[in-house]
Amino acid sequence: MPGYTSINPKMLQVPVGPGQEIYSKRGAMLAYTGRVNFAPTATAGQGLGQTLGRAMAGERTVMMHVTGHGSAMFGHGGLHVQVIDLAGDTLYVEADRLLVYDASLQAGTMFMGEQGGVGGVIRGAVSGQGLFTTTLTGHGACAVLSHGGVMELPITPQRPVHVDPQAYVAHRGQVQNKLTTAMGLRDLVGRGSGEGFQLQLSGQGVVYVQASERKI
Amino acid sequence: MLAVDLAGETIRALNGSMVAYDGQMTFKRQGMTGGEGLRGALKRRIAGEGMTLMEITGQGTVFLASEATEVTLVPLNGETLFVESESLLALDGRLQTGVQFTGLRGMGTGQGLATTKVEGQGMVAILSDGPAIALEVTPGTPLCVDPHAYVGHRGQLQQDVVTDVNWRTVLGQGSGESVQFRYQGQGLVYVQPAERGGGILEI
Repeated sequence: MPGYTSINPKMLQVPVGPGQEIYSKRGAMLAYTGRVNFAPTATAGQGLGQTLGRAMAGERTVMMHVTGHGSAMFGHGGLHVQVIDLAGDTLYVEADRLLVYDASLQAGTMFMGEQGGVGGVIRGAVSGQGLFTTTLTGHGACAVLSHGGVMELPITPQRPVHVDPQAYVAHRGQVQNKLTTAMGLRDLVGRGSGEGFQLQLSGQGVVYVQASERKI
Repeated sequence: MLAVDLAGETIRALNGSMVAYDGQMTFKRQGMTGGEGLRGALKRRIAGEGMTLMEITGQGTVFLASEATEVTLVPLNGETLFVESESLLALDGRLQTGVQFTGLRGMGTGQGLATTKVEGQGMVAILSDGPAIALEVTPGTPLCVDPHAYVGHRGQLQQDVVTDVNWRTVLGQGSGESVQFRYQGQGLVYVQPAERGGGILEI
């Protein structure tokens, strides 16, 4: 697998070669050495049906297929870059937070309703995540963007974690999530604590949280 | 990002700064007075030193962050910390807050006429754009700082404004460093590696 190297917290270097192809966010390349080609791709390793689904879902970010021989450097908007290694499990992440991922990973789109039915749909709408989210499955690495760096919080059945929906970046593992509200009379009269909605994640896995409440 | 372990205690934090928590937590916005009494609240309103804090109580760990800025922890042991209300992320529930009028200094930097003071025993978390450094001031070695890079200070310090305004500044050819704060006495000054905009000192 390509070895992702962090140049600094906001820049990433990825070697590219035969059998080491990657997909990257469009326009996120900073520099490259060697012979590297960037081809825009609409399907990004997914089937035509999936692509249509994504286009309809609005969970569509144009990716570039990076091939050739050399190494490429990536960064975007001065945001922090976090490398996440996958060993057969699935990562759930927003499409516009994905900076780079290995072509060996299987990308897909998941309907929020699959996780919690109507509750999932409401959750997506309230937290601004939309109705669909992107999944990456398989063996390989990917890099996600965050504002202010991310923190990994382990989730165990005994220890559910609550996350501010705006600070949520991604999660992996067997995790159920639901939206909880702590709305009270104070919120209705505009004197809330600013923490009216929270994502409750329970099960077994890891959630990635960023140090800011800003979306990308 | 800041992690706070709570075992039934109460802390006060910037409204909306929670990013994650585990365990049982309740969040409650502070009342109008914010533990400062009616007189304190009135002072704060007049000074324009607005501050919205919430009370967090519970068992577990709560993670706080704001706009990806850096967090510096300041332990207070009966001393007084002066800090801009916008730079305050969280403080121990036992600490007292109040408003301190600063006069000309605050007006020049666009930070208002007053600053927030925190006193008592406990921890304070302050925010800075980039990692803040603490510069020591001792008698005989006064320190000058850029008003826009100033975050807070503690200890027995007197402050005054030093100007270096000459005809070049008037013509708009200033060096951009025409006004500084000078601190004398014994204490620490916190400085951030970025300069806030605003105020009449942009010369």
